[in-house]
Amino acid sequence: MLILQLLASGIQTGVLYGLTAAGFALIFGATRVFHVAHGATFVLAGYAFVLGAQAGLPWPVSCLLALVVAIGFGLFMDAFVYRPIQRHEGAFFTVFVAAFGASLVVQNLIQFCVGRGSVSVSTPLTRASEILPGLYVAPVFWIAIGVAVALFALVTMFLDRTDAGVALRGLSENPELLRAFGLSSRRLSALAFGIGSAMTVPGAILTAATSGIEPAAGAHVVLISLAAAVVGGIGSLRGAALAGLLLGITENLIIAVLDTQWSEAAGFLVLFAFILFRPSGLFGQAVRR
Amino acid sequence: MTAYLLNLATLATIFGILAASLNVLIGYAGIFSVAHAVFFGVGAYAGAQVALNLVPDVLLASLAGGLLSGLLSLCLALPALRVRGEYFVAASLGLQMLAVTVFSEAHSLTGGHGGLVGIPPASLLGIDVSSPWRFLAVCVGALTLSLVSIAILMRGGFGRGLMAIRDSESAAEALGKNVPALKTIAVAIGCSLAGVAGTLFAFQLAFINVESFTLEQSVLLMAMVIIGGAGTLLGPLVGTLLLLLLPAVLSFIPFIPATEIGTVQQLVYGLAMTLLMIFRPAGLAAPSTGRR
Amino acid sequence: MMKRRTFLASGAATLAAWRAFAQTQSHIVGTLFPMSGSNAEFGTLYTNAVQLALDHITADRMLKSPIELRSQDSQATPQGGAVGMTRLATVDKASYVLLGFTGVSKAAAPIGGRNKVVMINGGGVGPDLATLSPYFVNIIPLANKEVTAILPWLAKEGLKRVALIYVDDPLGQSINQEFAAGLPKQGGTLVGAFSVPPTQQQFGAIAARVRDVKPDAVYFATPIGTQLSQMAKQLRDNGITQQFVTYSVGNLPSIVAQPESEGMIFTGQAADWTSNEPKIKRFVEGWRTKYKAEPVTYALNYYNGLMLFAMLAQGLERAGTPVTGETLLAELMRVRTFQLAGGEVTFDEHASASSAIQISRVHGGRSEKIG
Repeated sequence: MLILQLLASGIQTGVLYGLTAAGFALIFGATRVFHVAHGATFVLAGYAFVLGAQAGLPWPVSCLLALVVAIGFGLFMDAFVYRPIQRHEGAFFTVFVAAFGASLVVQNLIQFCVGRGSVSVSTPLTRASEILPGLYVAPVFWIAIGVAVALFALVTMFLDRTDAGVALRGLSENPELLRAFGLSSRRLSALAFGIGSAMTVPGAILTAATSGIEPAAGAHVVLISLAAAVVGGIGSLRGAALAGLLLGITENLIIAVLDTQWSEAAGFLVLFAFILFRPSGLFGQAVRR
Repeated sequence: MTAYLLNLATLATIFGILAASLNVLIGYAGIFSVAHAVFFGVGAYAGAQVALNLVPDVLLASLAGGLLSGLLSLCLALPALRVRGEYFVAASLGLQMLAVTVFSEAHSLTGGHGGLVGIPPASLLGIDVSSPWRFLAVCVGALTLSLVSIAILMRGGFGRGLMAIRDSESAAEALGKNVPALKTIAVAIGCSLAGVAGTLFAFQLAFINVESFTLEQSVLLMAMVIIGGAGTLLGPLVGTLLLLLLPAVLSFIPFIPATEIGTVQQLVYGLAMTLLMIFRPAGLAAPSTGRR
Repeated sequence: MMKRRTFLASGAATLAAWRAFAQTQSHIVGTLFPMSGSNAEFGTLYTNAVQLALDHITADRMLKSPIELRSQDSQATPQGGAVGMTRLATVDKASYVLLGFTGVSKAAAPIGGRNKVVMINGGGVGPDLATLSPYFVNIIPLANKEVTAILPWLAKEGLKRVALIYVDDPLGQSINQEFAAGLPKQGGTLVGAFSVPPTQQQFGAIAARVRDVKPDAVYFATPIGTQLSQMAKQLRDNGITQQFVTYSVGNLPSIVAQPESEGMIFTGQAADWTSNEPKIKRFVEGWRTKYKAEPVTYALNYYNGLMLFAMLAQGLERAGTPVTGETLLAELMRVRTFQLAGGEVTFDEHASASSAIQISRVHGGRSEKIG
């Protein structure tokens, strides 16, 4: 039963990892920006939701608020940080440092304005009940899965079926070609940042409800997203989502055999092994060297 | 006051060595490692163990620290040979996270979270060098030695080979450069120097634990190199001075309330990183019309 | 390059000199708390406590010369501790520094010892802190003493099977050892000890492991308040209904206020907020009016930490002895026993305090004393 229980909590963690990682992968694939401030987006969305809920807003409004804040921050980073750097042909590491600096600013602004402890929303949805002997599952488990699957389907449909979506996928392969067809790569990159950032919202809200969220929580989110994006094959949305799910499950299942403090390291061992032995990731094409 | 400035100067020198050593990887070989704190830590633990169990000799401890870090740098060289760019960043990230867990769990070697306490005062070939002035002199000596050797190496055929790889790996290969060997050696040199810096750090603090060798430290080091100017000799030093001394200078501003001082420091610090990257993407030390 | 450094140095020197001139003849007391990062909640709390004590000392005119507070951010890291301590000892010339956190303490202790600065620890409770330096004073009972206090209570309540979730640092290890040795003596068992890294935030999987060993009580040993509140919430959410027990970290306001903490037991120094003893009453009422919140024992420790300074310095001023770290320590070791808020505190030969430990329970968002 222990295994089943660990699997369940692994899936719950994993779907949210997957969704956030897919957002990261979408942004990276379309714009080649290593968006380290993705974690800051996550934290901002979580705080927006909690503050909204504490102010007495009904929960759909709080969710909307979180969505607006996340997208707003993503677009802001794109327009005022990444684009100016890319105009100078900055190396991708320059982007990395700038984004890291921005994450620090967000973290400390939240500390300054809201406070330093963790904040959370209390809801009966996170209370687990026994559905099988020894297997405890909370309603939030089903919500996480439902929301993640629905949103993921929506985004893939958008990318497959609409012109803008197809163009977005094309952007990573050949930006010159798109420009020749009269599509604005600036608008497309804004679109990628908007959608990608929006994909952090469910994870942020559910984290605020299950474990609480703190100003420094973004670092972990970025690490997981980055790892999942690489294991899944950089730029592959499906790969990132699946890898995120796998990372969540590994992190939890490993506890059945190893001491608990190794659970996070296990995920990164998987990452390291993947890069050494299968650098193209789960679904990626051959690595460009 | 003097002691405080000496302490800061010594720390700045140690971080100068670290940034310069990371610059060998990032600036000259194009290997973007975010695991440099791992080798800093390996050197610190190895040096501290030598000092605690054998002799507190800086030279011997630094050799041990540098050697062990150099050997373990193979863990970094291996992915560096196989992948580039973002993939390598992710690999080094994985290594960094693993190393933090190992540092916290290998109690007999690292003391776990409790760390290694009571590292004895340093001596050099039988002479006591533990006083702040003398230890600063030792560190400045180490920094000078590192910078000179890096300058000489990078001017020679080895450096040209490395930079050829950085700019285009396939072109370098076509020119008959031994890419794997060059890369492995560059990683080994950079990591050994980081190990030496780690040993000096252990002597300076007399106490080390895993909290000094985390991902944040790695990112800070990387920021020092990039902000100062990757691929330039003095850039990493400029970056080190700026990032290490900025919080110290900020703490002299009298009107920030005591409870907010840390937050304000971090805020300014993050803002400086972002703004510098927007307006000086090639780094402070680079000529304003940078190559990159 | 050199120019830049000398410029910075001389700038800093002028500033410091100007400050020293402006404030001659005051007692300099330093604080070295984490003011940024994930432990900043503690730093704020401690600083508030010190400021409240300063208000009271000034109001009572206890000292002839005023106390001047200097704050440094330790970031809860050894390096931050070493830099901050050097700064306080050699630039600000503090004779007395209040600090916390094990890593910070260990890095700061040799520096403080060398510069003859009395260091007061009121937050770190690792047992290895007792013998760091003669100048290192523990005003908080170390954690192993807290386990000794909770064992009889567990036996009395019939909670025989205990599961422990701990962060693998000297604090967690000592609690683990105390339980492994102490529980069997009273017929109990430590049914599981699960160590977690200090950065862990997800405890769903640990909850499954804990449920698997069927404990009567779960003991949390983490030095990080945020982590404790996440543990309590996620274990409750995952259907762990057993008794929660922890040490003095359970006394943080954010934890006491959290609904999932209802019923949680924690040990800590005897600090009865409802007591009529005038000193504690003044502290509690002062805290409530100044910060509009309930006080916690950690805050009391640092309040007492500065009060202790005032008492020591008062004694020295009366005797006409200059107030330095050296004389303060000598005075402390001469008097040994002090009437601080919350009761009498006695320091042993390592300058570690012992005071009575009480057991409290979280009830309705407040803590109440139960033994």
